[in-house]
Amino acid sequence: MKNLFNFIITSCIIFSFISCSSDSDEDIDQIPQFDRSSILKNYADNIIIPRYSDFQSEVLKLKSDIENFTKEPNIVNYDKAHNSWFETYKKWQHVEMFNIGKAEQIMYLNTINTYPVDELRINNNINSKKLDLSNENDWSCQGLSGIDFMLHGVEGTKEEIIEKYLTDPNYSDYLNNLIEIISNNTNTIVEDWTTNYKDTFIQSSGNSNSSSLNMLTNDFVYYFEKGLRTNKIGIPVGYFSGGNTLAEKVETYYSSKNSIQNVSRDLAAEALIASENLFIGKSSSGSTGPSLKSYLDYLYSSNVNENNLSPIILNNFQKAKIAINELDENFIDQINNDKSKMLNAFDKLQSIVVNMKTDMLSILSIQVDYIDADGD
Amino acid sequence: MKIISSYLSKTQESSSLALFRLGFGFLMTFSILRFWLKGWIKTMYIDPSFHFTFYGFEWVKPVGEYTYILFFICGLSAFLVAIGYKYYIAIITFFLSFTYIELMDKTTYLNHYYFVSILSFLMIFLPCNSSYSIDSFIKKKSFKYSPKWCVDSIKTLLFIVYFYSGLAKINRDWLFEAQPLKIWLATGSYDLPIIGSTLMQQEWFHYFMSWGGMFYDLLIPFILLYKPTRIIGFSLVVFFHVFTAVLFPIGMFPYIMIISTIIFFSSNTHEKILKFILKPFKNTIKKTIEIDNIKIKKNKFAISLISLFFVVQFLFPFRYAIYPGELFWNEEGYRFSWRVMLMEKRGYTTFKVVDNSNGNSFFVRNDEFLTEFQERQMSFQPDFILEYAHFLGDHYNNKGLNDIEIYAESYVALNGRINKRFVNPKIDLLKEKRGFNSKHWIIDLNEEINYL
Repeated sequence: MKNLFNFIITSCIIFSFISCSSDSDEDIDQIPQFDRSSILKNYADNIIIPRYSDFQSEVLKLKSDIENFTKEPNIVNYDKAHNSWFETYKKWQHVEMFNIGKAEQIMYLNTINTYPVDELRINNNINSKKLDLSNENDWSCQGLSGIDFMLHGVEGTKEEIIEKYLTDPNYSDYLNNLIEIISNNTNTIVEDWTTNYKDTFIQSSGNSNSSSLNMLTNDFVYYFEKGLRTNKIGIPVGYFSGGNTLAEKVETYYSSKNSIQNVSRDLAAEALIASENLFIGKSSSGSTGPSLKSYLDYLYSSNVNENNLSPIILNNFQKAKIAINELDENFIDQINNDKSKMLNAFDKLQSIVVNMKTDMLSILSIQVDYIDADGD
Repeated sequence: MKIISSYLSKTQESSSLALFRLGFGFLMTFSILRFWLKGWIKTMYIDPSFHFTFYGFEWVKPVGEYTYILFFICGLSAFLVAIGYKYYIAIITFFLSFTYIELMDKTTYLNHYYFVSILSFLMIFLPCNSSYSIDSFIKKKSFKYSPKWCVDSIKTLLFIVYFYSGLAKINRDWLFEAQPLKIWLATGSYDLPIIGSTLMQQEWFHYFMSWGGMFYDLLIPFILLYKPTRIIGFSLVVFFHVFTAVLFPIGMFPYIMIISTIIFFSSNTHEKILKFILKPFKNTIKKTIEIDNIKIKKNKFAISLISLFFVVQFLFPFRYAIYPGELFWNEEGYRFSWRVMLMEKRGYTTFKVVDNSNGNSFFVRNDEFLTEFQERQMSFQPDFILEYAHFLGDHYNNKGLNDIEIYAESYVALNGRINKRFVNPKIDLLKEKRGFNSKHWIIDLNEEINYL
């Protein structure tokens, strides 16, 4: 009995030592390694930083156009400012999901795209010439959504709006202040990314709660579920509020409501493309690099995952794109005329959320929360 | 009968129980302190507006800010257990407060919390304070011997924990797919230096760990019981638990097991360890008069109770057999059975509320009621889903929606399988009662994972 036990134990120990020392050297050559920081490098170099820079230059253009418009409120300047606003908003869809690092610290996302806006509070701010909007109650009074109200919502028609800026300088001041805040915050973030944060970000490829890959993936999934699915489609179509649709809660409500330009669908479509681009690691120039998708592909090819997940997810992205493109350019009209198409788009986005939150996070071992688990 | 009675009168040096008491007490004190300092009392018990309860224990709820006092009492009693001061009051208080804490919200359920609960229950009947304790110092007498069955009962409990968790590993996913270890080692342990991106990525290693883990759990109690292999066994225990502590976020568990398994050594060894640790108190200890034998009150009640306790412990993990369907999917009879680390399971579950008075329906935003952690746990565990559905029912009834139905949209991914619909979407969960009856509203996995 004694000999048998000793034999088993000794052989187990010897076996494990032999296998640890020899096999690991040989097998490195056989199975190609996947370097997780390559995902982060591709994301930082080819997506996050270029997309932020694009957004930054668009913000600068919007800033000068708004300055021109407030100096000389007329139709031409108005249209210029409006067009820049729309372009800026489109670029924003490509960076909203990166609520990480400095952006998270300064509540960047909340200050730029909180909607619906608080009209009453904005009007109070305008009249009281309030310039410090750092209080969180003022998140719904600023940002690109705030500019939507300032450019398209202070009166019912373009002419009346221009008239407002001609007569009341407080409006000009408030509008200039809004773009000033966006511009300053954006500069802070771009500078942080390009000077020191990039290296920290790329190196942290581990699995802890503070590792970049975990934070970024969690942010991405969170954005897709809340920022894209819930905010752009779910809430306005009344998914969470019984039969009552809430068309006034669409993104860019005022531009659509006052028929300045119907942009809500374009922004949702842009956000979906931006999400897909991140998933497949596609840069603005069209080249692709290491990404969540290529990591999933690697895990499939190396047998960790027996299911090929990324084609399933990409197929669901395709279906979601079709569903969104079938919508009216103006979400208010779509909701009021035929909300079933909106609900369909919601369902298509939902199936991607399910893929990401169950299948993808599972295979990537990415935790949503960090507390003790069962041990063995 | 004779054998039993002669076994019950066998004795063993009390130092074994004393060392165990000391180790357990201090580890628990530290555990409670750690939980407190991590801020988990607030995030787990005070912040959430809703708590998932165990069926039959709905009345056990956090008590607002007083929850801190509860933890304080629990930590203090653990400390008193450690030093052996008013031992029986301390261990009863510890058992009650710790168990109360674990019953407050099943979101935080862990097998090793259950282990601590039942172990402290057992310790109520063991004279762990008969030597090397403040109690014995105050009474100025300590007992050199105590009944052998006392130490054996602790060993038996440890035997059950290891052996049953080994049995649970005899399942298809664990042995023939190396899941979930494959996922956890390949992607979850990536950041370990050197081995993270090499060894942890090797498929043979995933199988090696799975099979090794199963054999380890099944054999380790025997290896520890058998004297010639005991040292090797304990080295394995230390190596294995430290290794898992590095790999997985499993908190205090590895340390509890390492400290507990010291009980398998001889009383002689325990005595030496105690003498070494308690060197500063050498003179104090000498002042107590050592009495050879403990006065064994033939406590028939305690002995019958502990016998019953072990019968239950041996049988309870098999209760799943009375339920139809796949255990790992339906989780009926899954908990309290030493099934640890067997599943990488995630779900996505939302609820549709249908208002019959006007035919309208809407979906619930789970983040209005649940913390992220609660939502995640709720999303793949059927009893959570049902309890939450009933909570939502009550919530909307109170808001004046009296004629409603609640349906779940639920998808679950288990051990690398693509997500699959989990709850029958045509069943109004409000019509399903909570309890131990089989949950027919779960859609079958149609696969067999569990073997035993």
